[in-house]
Amino acid sequence: MTLHEAAARLPRGRRRATRSPLAAQRRRMGILFTLPVAALIGSLLLIPIGQTFYYSFTNWDGFTSQWIGFAAYRHLFQNPEFTTVLENNAVMVLAIPVAIALPLAVAFLLNTHLRGWRFFRSVFFLPTAVSWVVIAFVARRFFDPDQQGILRQLLDHTGLGFWHPDLLAHEHSALIAVMITFIWSVFGTNMIIFLAGMSTIDQEIYDAAKVDGAGSFTVMVRITFPLLKRFVQFAFIISLITAFSALFSLIIVMTNGGPGYGSTTLEFFIYEQAFTENNFGVGATAGVVLFLLVFAVSMVQLRVLRSDD
Amino acid sequence: MAVWRRRASSLLVYILLVVVTVIMLYPFWLMGQMSFRSLPQYYLGKGLSLTTWHDLFKALPVGHELLNSTLITLCSILVILAVSTTGGYALGKLQYRLSGVVFLIVMSAMMVPMQSMIIPEYINLARLGFINHYYGAIAVYSALGAPFATFLMTTYYRRLPEDVIEAALIDGLGYAKVFVRIMLPLAVPAIATVAVLQFIQIWDDLLVGLLFLQTPAHRTITVGLETIPAQHFQDFPMEMAGSLVSALPAVVVYLVFQRYLVRGLTMGMSK
Repeated sequence: MTLHEAAARLPRGRRRATRSPLAAQRRRMGILFTLPVAALIGSLLLIPIGQTFYYSFTNWDGFTSQWIGFAAYRHLFQNPEFTTVLENNAVMVLAIPVAIALPLAVAFLLNTHLRGWRFFRSVFFLPTAVSWVVIAFVARRFFDPDQQGILRQLLDHTGLGFWHPDLLAHEHSALIAVMITFIWSVFGTNMIIFLAGMSTIDQEIYDAAKVDGAGSFTVMVRITFPLLKRFVQFAFIISLITAFSALFSLIIVMTNGGPGYGSTTLEFFIYEQAFTENNFGVGATAGVVLFLLVFAVSMVQLRVLRSDD
Repeated sequence: MAVWRRRASSLLVYILLVVVTVIMLYPFWLMGQMSFRSLPQYYLGKGLSLTTWHDLFKALPVGHELLNSTLITLCSILVILAVSTTGGYALGKLQYRLSGVVFLIVMSAMMVPMQSMIIPEYINLARLGFINHYYGAIAVYSALGAPFATFLMTTYYRRLPEDVIEAALIDGLGYAKVFVRIMLPLAVPAIATVAVLQFIQIWDDLLVGLLFLQTPAHRTITVGLETIPAQHFQDFPMEMAGSLVSALPAVVVYLVFQRYLVRGLTMGMSK
């Protein structure tokens, strides 16, 4: 009988409940059930990130390391290549407003639930399933300056044949090609976020606006967009994190970071330093910089999501 | 007049949507079309041939790589599901004194970018002799997927009403049995979401495979695909054929389980 009594009491009187056998079982099982995930994350995520912090202050070569303190960071920030890398990351940020505006506009069109909207939604979201490696191979064909290049054929057919840009061949334009590809592939994800946001808006608000004689443009600007603010912020942050930490495979296949350091972003720089240059210490230092950047952005995200609860 | 204007504007909307559709589907058409051309036909811009497909299967152990991808992806998903359902149940329903702190740690782990921890991870696992073994890659993929999956499961379990558990406890079930008999079956939609998200993520990944599976015998299809340019310089039709083969399974999973993917995305947003 004590078991049943304790169970009935559980939500109330916490102090008394902790002494009961059922509460003890609950605590024991709670800890036991947490152990697998804690062990996995601890050993394969938290320890390595701790090591990255430690080695960021050393001249690690993969085998031995010497503590050099903040000199490691000084060296890194004095490295002109690293400055280029940070600039590239800053330029990547410029792609994000476009990666938001386009899907937002299309989501607005689809949200009218015109005939076939489900089909369009599926098709626009499809690139989410495709790997960056595949996207990169296709993008190379698209930006190919030769006769077979898709962009070139497109320009030829639209009377712009006098202009044959070769974005991938130049240090200052390769990143633009990467950004265009990035915008293409995050289009669907952001559109889904906006559609989810629009579905939370009460239909009555629209009806009321219509009664008041508001046109569809007014409704869009005055009602939909303000109510979507939270979702726009969410999409912004997700896109930013993707741009900073998920484009490695795209860059390695599409440009290999080049020409020069033209399309090397921070995450690619880390890989290159560690695994092609054997500068594991520099890689770790840059890894901490990336971690801090992404962590700061994520913190903003948490505040954004919390603030409107 | 008004009718005509409405018709014209809806026609405009459809034209716009069709243009976007073409932009989104064009890569798939390109892959299909180019893969059925030989290299000379590619430069000619016309023709049909199976040469490229024939060469692709000669150049890459496609079947074996697909098998590797399937094995690694499915095993990783199983590990992720095992740790995230138990962890989510513990953190979402069996809250104990430090469970809030553990949940915060899980959430912080979600924010660790892969590149920031991959160097020590690689060195650690290399020391343990985990490189070029399936279990090495499975361990890394599981660890990378576990935080978000656990976060998702925890928020899912938190929303389930408390009296489901209480009723079962009154019937004499222990907390472990409650998990197996009640909590797991109730979580099927969330489990499906995690599985689909992870399938696409792991199947499409390159970096982990590149570092932890370097021998051709263990390579996944995505890693195999990445090696085509090095083996067959500028054989663009073969790149497209390989791309198509590697993309297809994830696209099929997407088409079948789309709604779970959408739900995963929107669940990540709510709180």
